[in-house]
Amino acid sequence: MSDFAALSIGLTALTAARKGLDVTGQNIANANTDGYTRQRLDQEAVGAPVAPALWSTYTGAGSGVQVTGISRLSDEFVIARSRAENASLADLTQRQSTLAGVEDTLGEPSDTGLSTQLTDMWNAWHDMANAPGDLAARSVLLAKTTAVADGIRTVRQGLDAQASAGRGQLDTVVGQINSDANSVAELNQAILRYDNAGQPANELKDQRDLVLKDLATKAGATVRYSSDGTAEVYVGGTALVRGNTASAMAASGTTTSVALTWAGSGAPVVAGGELGARVDDLNTTLPGYVARLDAVTASLRDAVNAAHTAGYDLDGNAGTAMFATNATSADIAVQIHDPRKIAAASQPPTGSGPSLDGDNATALAALGQSTTGADSSYRQLVVDVGVAALAANRRHDVQATVAQKADAAVDSAGGVNTDEEMVNLLTYQRAYQAAARVTTAVDEMLDTLINRTGTVGR
Amino acid sequence: MSIERVTQRSLAAHTLSGLQQNLSRLGDLQNQLSSGRAINRPSDSPAGTASALALRAQLSTNQQWSRNADDGLGWLGTTDQTLTNALDPLRRARDLTVAGLNGGAAGQDAREAMALEIDQIRQGLVGTANTTYLGRPIFGGTTSGATAYDTTGTYQGPASSPPITRVVGANTAVRVDLTGPEVFGPAGADLFTTLSDTAAALRSGNTAALQSTLGRLDAGISGVTAKLAQVGANYNRVQSLQQAAKDRVTSLTGSLSDVENIDLPATVVALNLAQVANQAALAATAKVITPSLADFLR
Repeated sequence: MSDFAALSIGLTALTAARKGLDVTGQNIANANTDGYTRQRLDQEAVGAPVAPALWSTYTGAGSGVQVTGISRLSDEFVIARSRAENASLADLTQRQSTLAGVEDTLGEPSDTGLSTQLTDMWNAWHDMANAPGDLAARSVLLAKTTAVADGIRTVRQGLDAQASAGRGQLDTVVGQINSDANSVAELNQAILRYDNAGQPANELKDQRDLVLKDLATKAGATVRYSSDGTAEVYVGGTALVRGNTASAMAASGTTTSVALTWAGSGAPVVAGGELGARVDDLNTTLPGYVARLDAVTASLRDAVNAAHTAGYDLDGNAGTAMFATNATSADIAVQIHDPRKIAAASQPPTGSGPSLDGDNATALAALGQSTTGADSSYRQLVVDVGVAALAANRRHDVQATVAQKADAAVDSAGGVNTDEEMVNLLTYQRAYQAAARVTTAVDEMLDTLINRTGTVGR
Repeated sequence: MSIERVTQRSLAAHTLSGLQQNLSRLGDLQNQLSSGRAINRPSDSPAGTASALALRAQLSTNQQWSRNADDGLGWLGTTDQTLTNALDPLRRARDLTVAGLNGGAAGQDAREAMALEIDQIRQGLVGTANTTYLGRPIFGGTTSGATAYDTTGTYQGPASSPPITRVVGANTAVRVDLTGPEVFGPAGADLFTTLSDTAAALRSGNTAALQSTLGRLDAGISGVTAKLAQVGANYNRVQSLQQAAKDRVTSLTGSLSDVENIDLPATVVALNLAQVANQAALAATAKVITPSLADFLR
């Protein structure tokens, strides 16, 4: 080993310490960057030449330090867990928000909800029974019945609006997923190039992890790394991204029968996360509540129509149907507009004119007390929505804690601790100072050898 | 957490989520306190919502029963007053009939005068029988006409009409009307015929006929009195049922409030606790996050 080699050792040490300061600076600079994973300088001691040369004089002291790379201190298992937990959190968040929307639409319990409107209508029938000949009471009854029909239609419109808004958002989410998939494919390509060139691509990997997390929350995607380091993304067991190619999915169908298909094969997509919850909301949850509302409507319509047609109006004519016989929650409306046509009497007209008994009105008023009628099935609907929403809220709260813990674990493995970086900063600074001291020492030694020797007796 | 590596960012995330939880608890309590209601949406308490909806419906129904009872009391009160008013002239007619019987020797003029008074009483009775409540003749049954009897004393209502009832409780309907024939007797044998027969007998001086009309008059008067008693009994029944409905309204309002409204002192205390917790968390955040090694390196 030549004497000058010692200078070279000092140089490698200076370079390594400089590089260490760079990496520490990068860590500190990105302490608050979302998705950034802390990096560490990998260095190793340079030992003896692998093949001893004939004339080389190796002292066995090594020949300095070399930087082998900059590693990214992430824990893939923890990250995979975080993705899975965030996917189910996104699913539950979506379900919670849908049920909260249904609750808002129902607006119960209140003094203005459909339940109160129904009670008001039955009370108006009581008032009719008290004064069957009074046109004012008849007009009030028509107004209250119209309010009930309007109330049912309003709830239905609220549910429909929620479904059509959800359908629009579904397209947006699918669009984001497709765009995310393309991003992952592009990042895979770029990272592969860096890897092939032997360059670290840590920042690109951070970006890819962010997009992968987004894919997990949006579509419940799972990730597998192939041998060349590219990420393969699977949704419901089918590859969304493989290497540098991305597939696409598309949503089709109306608000109540949405189908998610793969763009190439047309096979159905089994999605999780937000997308899965959205599809389920549109295909099952909302239509389910619409069907329940339709059942309430049918129960009200049939009971009122049957009772009303059994009576006689103020002119002695048999009562006609109050609501269209095939009315649903979407189009229920009062068909009778003339207050005289309300059939309050149960007796046909006699020789002395139409009967003014209010028994049919009393019979209609009694429908409100029925334990199987519209009131009770509507109350059951409200309570069922409440139970479902409460369950969704609780599951969401639990899952939020779990997901937070998983995220904390990711951060614990890969997050920047500024205290650590401060210590690293000190370490590399001191290393740099020491390396400079080594260089100086060798320099002084050579100075002694070159300039001070051979001057005996001068 | 003890073995895990803690970073500034995870510390900040933990602190933020803790603050968020405190704030959301505070928000919930403030929402409850400002609305005064513990149940603002079904998911706040599904069981409470079920009770609240059922209680509201019951409350409203009981209020309606009370209103029905008001109407029934008005009808029955009018009937009671009308029958009481009808009794006086009928007794006067009886007195006149008795006087006609006793004063067999009285002159034609005197008997004519008595007959005229009885005619007046009969006209008055027809008017009384046409008494209306809210535009309906109270003795007309289910007739849609304006009168129960025409001026000749012929019943105008339907031959058979169902009783007019008011629903004043669960499955409880009380009859509030009396038809003309029930009060004044069946057509052809009613009080109007009796009175015109009496007047005719007085005019003709037919003592035997007068004797028979006196009997019919007595039977008629006792019939009206019996109906008066029935009306009074129904009135009392409606009144007590109305009281029951009103009592239930009070107790149901209390129950609804128990289910739906907040316990004010408990909520205020909870709010204060949440505020204290939030302030403590804020203070801790201010103290914990700041220090770093950078503060102590020169």
